[in-house]
Amino acid sequence: MSEATAERSDAKKPAKTARPIIECRGITRTFWRAKERLDVLDGLDLDIAEGSFEALMGPSGSGKTTLLNLIAGLDRPTAGKLVVAGTEVSAMGDAALARWRSQTIGFVFQHFNLIPVLTALENVELPLLLTKLPASERKKRAQIALRVVGLEDRMHHRPQQLSGGQEQRVGIARAIVHDPKIIVADEPTGELDRHSADDVLALLEKLNTEFDKTILMVTHDPAAAARATIVHKLDKGRLT
Amino acid sequence: MTLAGLTVKNIGHNWLRTVLTVLGVAIAILSFVLIRTTIDAWETAAKHGAQDRLSTINRVTFVMPLPKRYFQEFNGERGKIEGVTHATWANWFGGKHATREGEFFANFAVDTDSYFDVYQDMAVPPDQLAAWKEDRQGAIIGEALAKQFDWNVGDDVTLVGTIYPGEWKFHIRGIYVATKKSVDRAQFIFHWDYLNENLPPDRRDMIGWIASTVDSAGRAAAVSEAIDKEFDDEDVQTRTMSEQAMNKEFLGGASAILGALDIVSLIIMLIMMLVLGNTIAMGVRERTQEYGVLLALGFRPRHIAAFVVGEGVTIGLLGGGLGLLIAYPLIEQGVGRFLEENMGAWFPYFSIPPEVAAMALGFAALLAAIAAGIPAYRATKLDVIDALRRLA
Amino acid sequence: MIPLNYNLRNLYVRSTTTIATAIGIAFVVAVLAAAMMLVEGLRQTLDKSGKPDTAIIIRKGSDSEMPSSIEDATLNLVKGAPGIAKAADGQSQVMGECVVVLFYDLANGKGKSNALVRGVTADVLSFRPEVKIEQGQMAKAGSDEVIVGQKLVGRFKNMAIGDTIELRKGRLGKIVGVFSAGGSSYESEIWGDLDFVRGSFGRDGVVQSVRVKLTSPAAFDGFEAFVEQDKRLGLEAMGEIDYYRKQSEGTALFLTVLGSLIAVFCSVGAMIGASITMYGAVANRKREIGVLRALGFSKLTIMISFLFESVMLALLGGMLGVLAALALQLVEFKMMNFATFSEIVFRFQATPEILMNSVIAGGVMGVIGGFLPAVRAARTPPIEAMKG
Repeated sequence: MSEATAERSDAKKPAKTARPIIECRGITRTFWRAKERLDVLDGLDLDIAEGSFEALMGPSGSGKTTLLNLIAGLDRPTAGKLVVAGTEVSAMGDAALARWRSQTIGFVFQHFNLIPVLTALENVELPLLLTKLPASERKKRAQIALRVVGLEDRMHHRPQQLSGGQEQRVGIARAIVHDPKIIVADEPTGELDRHSADDVLALLEKLNTEFDKTILMVTHDPAAAARATIVHKLDKGRLT
Repeated sequence: MTLAGLTVKNIGHNWLRTVLTVLGVAIAILSFVLIRTTIDAWETAAKHGAQDRLSTINRVTFVMPLPKRYFQEFNGERGKIEGVTHATWANWFGGKHATREGEFFANFAVDTDSYFDVYQDMAVPPDQLAAWKEDRQGAIIGEALAKQFDWNVGDDVTLVGTIYPGEWKFHIRGIYVATKKSVDRAQFIFHWDYLNENLPPDRRDMIGWIASTVDSAGRAAAVSEAIDKEFDDEDVQTRTMSEQAMNKEFLGGASAILGALDIVSLIIMLIMMLVLGNTIAMGVRERTQEYGVLLALGFRPRHIAAFVVGEGVTIGLLGGGLGLLIAYPLIEQGVGRFLEENMGAWFPYFSIPPEVAAMALGFAALLAAIAAGIPAYRATKLDVIDALRRLA
Repeated sequence: MIPLNYNLRNLYVRSTTTIATAIGIAFVVAVLAAAMMLVEGLRQTLDKSGKPDTAIIIRKGSDSEMPSSIEDATLNLVKGAPGIAKAADGQSQVMGECVVVLFYDLANGKGKSNALVRGVTADVLSFRPEVKIEQGQMAKAGSDEVIVGQKLVGRFKNMAIGDTIELRKGRLGKIVGVFSAGGSSYESEIWGDLDFVRGSFGRDGVVQSVRVKLTSPAAFDGFEAFVEQDKRLGLEAMGEIDYYRKQSEGTALFLTVLGSLIAVFCSVGAMIGASITMYGAVANRKREIGVLRALGFSKLTIMISFLFESVMLALLGGMLGVLAALALQLVEFKMMNFATFSEIVFRFQATPEILMNSVIAGGVMGVIGGFLPAVRAARTPPIEAMKG
């Protein structure tokens, strides 16, 4: 993220727009597993406001991760219309989706998914390799992102040298370095102990309140869900 | 960090495997260089054989001699063959070292006055040449031979004759230096007159072959024909061809071995490809989830493919470099010198040709890229979500 | 003990990796086997040319019959030596021969190659009973007729019955027969009457080698002593088999060294390939090894199990390599015999010993390459079973 965005956190925030940043209309996602048809999502409608912190909960197989993948542009719905950050992602091709993701979405994974041969700084830099920024600028922004998550002093450490909680925070830094509008988190506290989980959730909250990031989180953890402003419950592909 | 940097850093995922693979590639390159250098050394005689110097031998077989009077057609006494500038003759002596009979070297009885005019690629210091010409029992030897038997100018040496039995005594009068790659640096040259006067009457005045130089290499074939035509009606007919052509014919006998070596060197590279490809494939399998993350972040399948191929090429170049690093001292200082000094007759020149080194490195990189091709292709077919879901 | 089935299944499941590694080992084994088979083929071809009860005499100092020369008078002196077998007519079985290497056009048009022409006497068929006239008839003694060995028929132009070959200008030999010689090097030769051949080259009264049939192999020592005692004669005697052995020595040594060098280098590469594969296997199966350890299997058991796996992998490669090498038996190999400067044609010859040794060599490569990974497997702590 740039200096400007980081500084904005101190300024007074303007009122949140009423326009939903995510609009799902009649979203259906069907899978075929060996001639058997699975309707994981069936005609789902959902709106998510910009700047909100929302959670998706539900039992295994409820389709929450599938929905998250669709919103993040990792997958396309079988039917329905999906508009995210003003773009109709349900109609986009692979190449366009990839580009869109690299600019609009920040990912936080359950298993952290840092590249072990790279340092924390280099891991955070990764999304910026897809931009035209020069190396010095990339490094600068990565450093700032690490500062935001409080790990600037560990920037030359490899993932093996970090604790689980620290790894996830690096993951979060990677998710914000390119200043995306939306952060998508799939079970961000799934691998963490209570203490680290709290740190990570506090960080996510900060990103939402101070940096205006829209956060959509899938979780099993009630403590995580408690931090969200709205919790959507899914069961068998439908909102309940 | 850059995309290229990321590619190279990826080899650090599993250091042990990377090191082993680099070693494997290095060994393959080393073997390849060794084999091709051997082939090249063998062919050097054929490649660098003099094109403007002809050998005239008995048509029936080179083992049989020519009458000495034939030489008079070459030196102008009875006529001159057009195109011939210098001529000389020599006999294969076939002598052996008195005690070290297992160590083969070529020895010839030659015409004193003309030999070194024709064989100008054997350079003798003028004072030594003069001394040799004065001494009937004089001998001039190659620098490699001098080293092999520890002979010096002024030494008395004895050779045991096989074709011409008996003990033959000589005085070393000079040492020649080869000015061309293909020249055998371990030859032993002495006077034909000394041989001839010690033979029984029925074996006298026979020469082994005539060597002549032509005014231009392009006329070699034509002059050869003219020479043979000259003696066509005689009882003893001749066969003339350039030295290079003669070497090539000789080499023909080894063609099967050279062909086999050629094939072996190529198969070695193919096997190297297999091992390298296997390593890369194993790495790709292990890093599926990582690739998933990269795809999620917005990297394209072609980026992933580039990473995989780049990794392969990096290992290929590292291995190739290491292989060459070992090859040079091993061959240039070790094996090469050994062969040149102890088997100088067979391998007058044993050195890594620059083309071979370049070919080795180029091959390493190219084959590595091809070997990484299939794993790279497979990696492009990864589905983001499946890849992400796969457990590390 | 962990059942071998476990290892076999694992090799099967990772079939691409298994095959790739096996091919690497197969190649090394094939090269080793090929080199040994080539040497064996050369030996057998030349050995067949010699007999245990025959001695050969050449001029002392000659490496072979090529540069040797022995006068007829000297040959007669040899007849007085002890231990010589006598033929039915009471004559001592002593036979002189001359040889010359000539160049002829190859049938495939790719230039010339050399062939050995041997001047023989009427005794030759009794000295070499394995020789059979396959086509046509034997050359008449004292005539200009010649017979050619069957290996030459397709190799050179105009070498069929009815053709004439040129020994030298004005001296032509008429081909009247084709002979076989039990696969020995004689099958690459042309035979004509001794006087006809040596007369063509002005070598009347001189032979290059003398063959003598002894009463028994044991008679050789006495015979040798007689022949070599008179230094003026300048003769050297040796058993025919030893003579041919010596001929092939240089070439055999060369081939052995070359093949071994290549095989050694490549075996290091193959072992590295095996190591990489086994390390990968161990890493992949960390959890299940942990489970085995947790269940109580000892470190040694685990190590031996993985060693078995790498050995089986190597043996697979070994057998593939041996199969490939066996296929080489179909190939004819032509090489210059450095001792006689004549061309010799022979084949790759497999023996059970060579094949077994090659496979074992492959197995050894598997053990060495798989050793360290097996140790690593053994060191896997049981706790790995619990990790996610």
